[in-house]
Amino acid sequence: MTGLMHFLAMGGYARYLWPCYGITFAVVFLNIYWARRLNARARSEAKRRLAMREKLVLEEEEA
Amino acid sequence: MSWTWFHRFGSPPHVYRLARRLTPWFAWPAALLILAGLYGGLVLAPPDYQQGDGFRMIYVHVPTAYLSIMIYTIMGVAAAVGLIWRMKVAHAVAASCAPIGASFTVAALATGSLFGKPMWGTYWAWDPRLTSELLLLFLYLGYLGLRSAFDDLQRADRASALLAVVGLVDVPIVHFSVVWWNSLHQGSSLLRLGGPTIYSPAMLAPLLMMICGFTLYFVAILLMRLRGEVLRRERAASWVKEALAT
Repeated sequence: MTGLMHFLAMGGYARYLWPCYGITFAVVFLNIYWARRLNARARSEAKRRLAMREKLVLEEEEA
Repeated sequence: MSWTWFHRFGSPPHVYRLARRLTPWFAWPAALLILAGLYGGLVLAPPDYQQGDGFRMIYVHVPTAYLSIMIYTIMGVAAAVGLIWRMKVAHAVAASCAPIGASFTVAALATGSLFGKPMWGTYWAWDPRLTSELLLLFLYLGYLGLRSAFDDLQRADRASALLAVVGLVDVPIVHFSVVWWNSLHQGSSLLRLGGPTIYSPAMLAPLLMMICGFTLYFVAILLMRLRGEVLRRERAASWVKEALAT
Protein backbone atom coordinates (compact mmCIF):
# COMPACT_ATOMS: atom_id res chain seq x y z
CA MET A 1 0.00 0.00 0.00
CA THR A 2 2.78 2.43 0.84
CA GLY A 3 4.21 1.77 -2.61
CA LEU A 4 0.94 2.91 -4.20
CA MET A 5 0.71 5.94 -1.89
CA HIS A 6 4.28 6.83 -2.77
CA PHE A 7 3.45 6.55 -6.48
CA LEU A 8 0.29 8.67 -6.15
CA ALA A 9 2.14 11.35 -4.17
CA MET A 10 4.53 11.88 -7.11
CA GLY A 11 7.20 13.38 -4.89
CA GLY A 12 4.87 16.18 -3.80
CA TYR A 13 3.77 17.11 -7.33
CA ALA A 14 0.48 15.16 -7.18
CA ARG A 15 -1.76 18.23 -7.09
CA TYR A 16 -0.28 19.50 -10.37
CA LEU A 17 0.56 16.25 -12.10
CA TRP A 18 -2.71 14.32 -11.80
CA PRO A 19 -4.93 17.19 -13.00
CA CYS A 20 -2.49 17.51 -15.92
CA TYR A 21 -3.11 13.88 -16.90
CA GLY A 22 -6.82 14.20 -16.14
CA ILE A 23 -7.29 17.16 -18.49
CA THR A 24 -5.33 15.49 -21.28
CA PHE A 25 -7.29 12.25 -21.16
CA ALA A 26 -10.58 14.09 -20.78
CA VAL A 27 -9.73 15.78 -24.12
CA VAL A 28 -8.71 12.44 -25.64
CA PHE A 29 -12.05 10.79 -24.73
CA LEU A 30 -14.12 13.88 -25.56
CA ASN A 31 -12.70 13.87 -29.08
CA ILE A 32 -13.72 10.24 -29.55
CA TYR A 33 -17.23 11.08 -28.31
CA TRP A 34 -17.50 14.20 -30.52
CA ALA A 35 -16.32 12.34 -33.62
CA ARG A 36 -18.85 9.54 -33.04
CA ARG A 37 -21.63 12.06 -32.47
CA LEU A 38 -20.73 13.96 -35.66
CA ASN A 39 -20.80 10.72 -37.65
CA ALA A 40 -24.10 9.56 -36.18
CA ARG A 41 -25.71 12.93 -36.95
CA ALA A 42 -24.34 13.09 -40.49
CA ARG A 43 -25.60 9.57 -41.16
CA SER A 44 -29.08 10.12 -39.78
CA GLU A 45 -29.40 13.40 -41.67
CA ALA A 46 -28.22 11.78 -44.91
CA LYS A 47 -30.73 8.96 -44.37
CA ARG A 48 -33.53 11.45 -43.79
CA ARG A 49 -32.67 13.29 -47.01
CA LEU A 50 -32.49 10.08 -49.00
CA ALA A 51 -35.91 9.01 -47.69
CA MET A 52 -37.35 12.42 -48.57
CA ARG A 53 -35.95 12.25 -52.08
CA GLU A 54 -37.30 8.75 -52.63
CA LYS A 55 -40.71 9.86 -51.42
CA LEU A 56 -40.68 12.78 -53.86
CA VAL A 57 -39.73 10.49 -56.75
CA LEU A 58 -42.56 8.09 -55.83
CA GLU A 59 -45.07 10.94 -55.63
CA GLU A 60 -43.97 12.23 -59.04
CA GLU A 61 -44.37 8.78 -60.56
CA GLU A 62 -47.84 8.45 -59.12
CA ALA A 63 -48.92 11.90 -60.36
CA MET B 1 3.62 13.01 -63.46
CA SER B 2 0.29 11.33 -63.11
CA TRP B 3 -2.37 13.27 -61.25
CA THR B 4 -4.74 10.34 -60.79
CA TRP B 5 -3.83 9.97 -57.09
CA PHE B 6 -4.74 13.61 -56.57
CA HIS B 7 -8.14 13.10 -58.17
CA ARG B 8 -8.71 9.93 -56.15
CA PHE B 9 -8.11 11.84 -52.95
CA GLY B 10 -10.52 14.45 -54.18
CA SER B 11 -13.24 11.85 -54.69
CA PRO B 12 -15.62 11.78 -51.70
CA PRO B 13 -16.77 8.13 -52.00
CA HIS B 14 -13.17 6.97 -52.22
CA VAL B 15 -12.16 9.07 -49.20
CA TYR B 16 -15.21 7.92 -47.21
CA ARG B 17 -14.44 4.25 -47.75
CA LEU B 18 -10.70 4.68 -47.24
CA ALA B 19 -11.24 6.61 -44.00
CA ARG B 20 -13.47 3.87 -42.69
CA ARG B 21 -11.00 1.12 -43.56
CA LEU B 22 -7.95 2.91 -42.19
CA THR B 23 -9.32 4.12 -38.83
CA PRO B 24 -8.60 0.93 -36.80
CA TRP B 25 -5.08 0.74 -38.26
CA PHE B 26 -4.31 4.05 -36.56
CA ALA B 27 -6.50 3.70 -33.46
CA TRP B 28 -5.12 0.43 -32.08
CA PRO B 29 -1.40 1.21 -32.43
CA ALA B 30 -2.19 4.63 -30.91
CA ALA B 31 -3.82 3.03 -27.85
CA LEU B 32 -0.91 0.61 -27.40
CA LEU B 33 1.75 3.32 -27.76
CA ILE B 34 -0.03 5.66 -25.35
CA LEU B 35 -0.45 2.89 -22.73
CA ALA B 36 3.22 1.90 -23.08
CA GLY B 37 4.26 5.55 -22.93
CA LEU B 38 2.18 6.10 -19.78
CA TYR B 39 3.77 3.12 -18.06
CA GLY B 40 7.24 4.17 -19.14
CA GLY B 41 6.72 7.81 -18.19
CA LEU B 42 4.93 7.39 -14.88
CA VAL B 43 6.57 4.22 -13.58
CA LEU B 44 9.82 3.31 -15.33
CA ALA B 45 11.46 6.70 -15.98
CA PRO B 46 13.67 7.93 -13.11
CA PRO B 47 12.85 11.28 -11.43
CA ASP B 48 14.56 14.29 -12.98
CA TYR B 49 17.59 15.65 -11.12
CA GLN B 50 16.11 19.17 -11.07
CA GLN B 51 12.35 18.78 -11.36
CA GLY B 52 11.93 15.49 -9.44
CA ASP B 53 8.71 13.64 -10.28
CA GLY B 54 7.15 16.87 -11.54
CA PHE B 55 8.98 16.45 -14.83
CA ARG B 56 6.58 13.60 -15.67
CA MET B 57 4.11 16.26 -16.77
CA ILE B 58 6.09 16.52 -20.03
CA TYR B 59 4.60 13.18 -21.09
CA VAL B 60 1.24 14.85 -21.60
CA HIS B 61 2.27 18.48 -22.02
CA VAL B 62 4.67 17.95 -24.93
CA PRO B 63 2.34 15.70 -27.00
CA THR B 64 -0.66 18.02 -26.54
CA ALA B 65 1.37 21.14 -27.35
CA TYR B 66 2.94 19.45 -30.38
CA LEU B 67 -0.48 18.31 -31.63
CA SER B 68 -1.85 21.85 -31.26
CA ILE B 69 0.61 23.27 -33.81
CA MET B 70 0.85 20.15 -35.98
CA ILE B 71 -2.94 20.04 -36.41
CA TYR B 72 -3.03 23.77 -37.22
CA THR B 73 -0.41 23.26 -39.93
CA ILE B 74 -2.44 20.45 -41.51
CA MET B 75 -5.61 22.54 -41.23
CA GLY B 76 -3.96 25.56 -42.88
CA VAL B 77 -2.45 23.53 -45.72
CA ALA B 78 -5.73 21.64 -46.33
CA ALA B 79 -7.61 24.96 -46.34
CA ALA B 80 -5.15 26.36 -48.90
CA VAL B 81 -5.57 23.28 -51.13
CA GLY B 82 -9.34 23.67 -50.80
CA LEU B 83 -9.17 27.32 -51.80
CA ILE B 84 -6.76 26.87 -54.71
CA TRP B 85 -8.14 23.67 -56.26
CA ARG B 86 -11.71 24.05 -54.97
CA MET B 87 -11.48 20.59 -53.51
CA LYS B 88 -14.40 19.67 -51.24
CA VAL B 89 -12.48 16.92 -49.47
CA ALA B 90 -9.66 19.33 -48.56
CA HIS B 91 -12.18 21.69 -46.94
CA ALA B 92 -13.66 18.69 -45.11
CA VAL B 93 -10.16 17.84 -43.79
CA ALA B 94 -9.65 21.42 -42.56
CA ALA B 95 -13.07 21.48 -40.91
CA SER B 96 -12.36 18.12 -39.23
CA CYS B 97 -9.04 19.37 -37.85
CA ALA B 98 -10.38 22.49 -36.13
CA PRO B 99 -12.26 21.08 -33.10
CA ILE B 100 -9.53 18.49 -32.46
CA GLY B 101 -6.82 21.16 -32.65
CA ALA B 102 -8.74 23.62 -30.49
CA SER B 103 -9.28 21.03 -27.76
CA PHE B 104 -5.60 20.05 -27.75
CA THR B 105 -4.59 23.71 -27.58
CA VAL B 106 -6.75 24.05 -24.47
CA ALA B 107 -5.05 20.91 -23.08
CA ALA B 108 -1.58 22.27 -23.92
CA LEU B 109 -2.33 25.60 -22.20
CA ALA B 110 -3.90 23.91 -19.15
CA THR B 111 -1.15 21.31 -18.69
CA GLY B 112 1.48 24.01 -19.27
CA SER B 113 -0.14 26.18 -16.66
CA LEU B 114 -0.13 23.30 -14.13
CA PHE B 115 3.50 22.61 -15.06
CA GLY B 116 4.40 26.28 -14.67
CA LYS B 117 3.10 26.72 -11.14
CA PRO B 118 5.57 24.43 -9.32
CA MET B 119 8.47 25.11 -11.74
CA TRP B 120 8.19 28.87 -12.33
CA GLY B 121 5.97 29.85 -9.41
CA THR B 122 3.13 31.06 -11.63
CA TYR B 123 0.25 29.58 -13.61
CA TRP B 124 0.54 32.18 -16.33
CA ALA B 125 3.00 34.74 -17.70
CA TRP B 126 2.76 36.93 -20.80
CA ASP B 127 5.71 35.12 -22.24
CA PRO B 128 6.25 34.81 -26.04
CA ARG B 129 5.66 31.04 -26.08
CA LEU B 130 2.55 31.20 -23.92
CA THR B 131 1.12 34.24 -25.67
CA SER B 132 1.61 32.83 -29.18
CA GLU B 133 0.00 29.55 -28.07
CA LEU B 134 -2.97 31.52 -26.69
CA LEU B 135 -3.20 33.30 -30.05
CA LEU B 136 -3.31 29.85 -31.67
CA LEU B 137 -6.36 29.01 -29.54
CA PHE B 138 -8.04 32.24 -30.68
CA LEU B 139 -7.28 31.34 -34.31
CA TYR B 140 -8.95 27.95 -33.86
CA LEU B 141 -11.93 29.53 -32.11
CA GLY B 142 -12.16 32.23 -34.78
CA TYR B 143 -12.13 29.56 -37.47
CA LEU B 144 -14.90 27.58 -35.73
CA GLY B 145 -16.91 30.73 -35.02
CA LEU B 146 -16.63 31.92 -38.61
CA ARG B 147 -17.81 28.53 -39.91
CA SER B 148 -20.86 28.52 -37.68
CA ALA B 149 -21.79 32.02 -38.89
CA PHE B 150 -22.70 30.66 -42.34
CA ASP B 151 -25.64 28.43 -43.16
CA ASP B 152 -24.19 27.53 -46.51
CA LEU B 153 -21.36 24.98 -46.16
CA GLN B 154 -19.51 26.10 -49.28
CA ARG B 155 -19.39 29.71 -48.17
CA ALA B 156 -18.37 28.64 -44.66
CA ASP B 157 -15.57 26.53 -46.17
CA ARG B 158 -14.17 29.38 -48.25
CA ALA B 159 -14.38 32.13 -45.63
CA SER B 160 -12.91 30.02 -42.83
CA ALA B 161 -10.18 28.66 -45.11
CA LEU B 162 -8.89 32.20 -45.66
CA LEU B 163 -8.58 32.72 -41.91
CA ALA B 164 -6.86 29.34 -41.48
CA VAL B 165 -4.28 30.19 -44.17
CA VAL B 166 -3.51 33.65 -42.74
CA GLY B 167 -3.23 32.15 -39.25
CA LEU B 168 -0.44 29.82 -40.44
CA VAL B 169 1.93 32.71 -39.65
CA ASP B 170 1.52 31.90 -35.96
CA VAL B 171 2.84 28.33 -36.26
CA PRO B 172 6.58 29.19 -36.69
CA ILE B 173 6.15 31.92 -34.06
CA VAL B 174 4.96 29.36 -31.51
CA HIS B 175 7.72 26.92 -32.43
CA PHE B 176 10.64 29.36 -32.54
CA SER B 177 9.45 31.73 -29.79
CA VAL B 178 11.79 30.08 -27.30
CA VAL B 179 14.73 30.63 -29.67
CA TRP B 180 13.94 34.15 -30.91
CA TRP B 181 13.13 35.77 -27.57
CA ASN B 182 14.16 35.43 -23.97
CA SER B 183 11.47 33.16 -22.67
CA LEU B 184 10.50 31.79 -19.31
CA HIS B 185 9.62 28.62 -21.18
CA GLN B 186 12.49 26.20 -21.59
CA GLY B 187 13.94 25.63 -25.04
CA SER B 188 12.99 22.75 -27.28
CA SER B 189 14.27 19.44 -25.89
CA LEU B 190 13.76 17.32 -29.00
CA LEU B 191 13.69 19.28 -32.25
CA ARG B 192 16.85 21.31 -31.91
CA LEU B 193 20.25 21.65 -33.51
CA GLY B 194 22.71 19.29 -31.85
CA GLY B 195 20.10 16.67 -30.95
CA PRO B 196 17.76 16.20 -27.99
CA THR B 197 18.75 17.44 -24.53
CA ILE B 198 17.05 14.52 -22.81
CA TYR B 199 19.85 11.99 -22.69
CA SER B 200 18.37 9.21 -20.58
CA PRO B 201 16.72 6.60 -22.85
CA ALA B 202 14.36 5.71 -19.98
CA MET B 203 13.11 9.32 -20.05
CA LEU B 204 13.25 9.87 -23.81
CA ALA B 205 11.62 6.63 -25.04
CA PRO B 206 8.26 7.17 -23.25
CA LEU B 207 8.13 10.73 -24.59
CA LEU B 208 8.68 9.54 -28.16
CA MET B 209 6.05 6.82 -27.65
CA MET B 210 3.55 9.37 -26.38
CA ILE B 211 4.25 11.72 -29.29
CA CYS B 212 3.87 8.90 -31.85
CA GLY B 213 0.80 7.55 -30.03
CA PHE B 214 -0.91 10.95 -29.96
CA THR B 215 -0.09 11.51 -33.64
CA LEU B 216 -1.70 8.19 -34.62
CA TYR B 217 -4.63 8.95 -32.32
CA PHE B 218 -5.10 12.29 -34.09
CA VAL B 219 -5.12 10.60 -37.51
CA ALA B 220 -7.76 8.11 -36.28
CA ILE B 221 -10.00 10.90 -34.95
CA LEU B 222 -9.43 12.94 -38.13
CA LEU B 223 -10.51 9.97 -40.27
CA MET B 224 -13.61 9.45 -38.12
CA ARG B 225 -14.61 13.12 -38.37
CA LEU B 226 -13.75 13.23 -42.06
CA ARG B 227 -16.41 10.60 -42.80
CA GLY B 228 -19.04 12.75 -41.16
CA GLU B 229 -17.82 15.91 -42.88
CA VAL B 230 -17.75 14.25 -46.33
CA LEU B 231 -21.26 12.89 -45.80
CA ARG B 232 -22.53 16.34 -44.84
CA ARG B 233 -21.20 17.77 -48.09
CA GLU B 234 -22.51 14.95 -50.28
CA ARG B 235 -26.06 14.52 -49.18
CA ALA B 236 -27.54 14.25 -52.64
CA ALA B 237 -24.92 12.01 -54.24
CA SER B 238 -25.90 8.51 -55.27
CA TRP B 239 -22.96 6.82 -53.52
CA VAL B 240 -24.32 7.98 -50.17
CA LYS B 241 -27.08 5.37 -50.38
CA GLU B 242 -24.51 2.61 -50.75
CA ALA B 243 -22.35 4.02 -48.00
CA LEU B 244 -25.26 4.21 -45.59
CA ALA B 245 -26.33 0.64 -46.30
CA THR B 246 -23.16 -0.71 -44.64
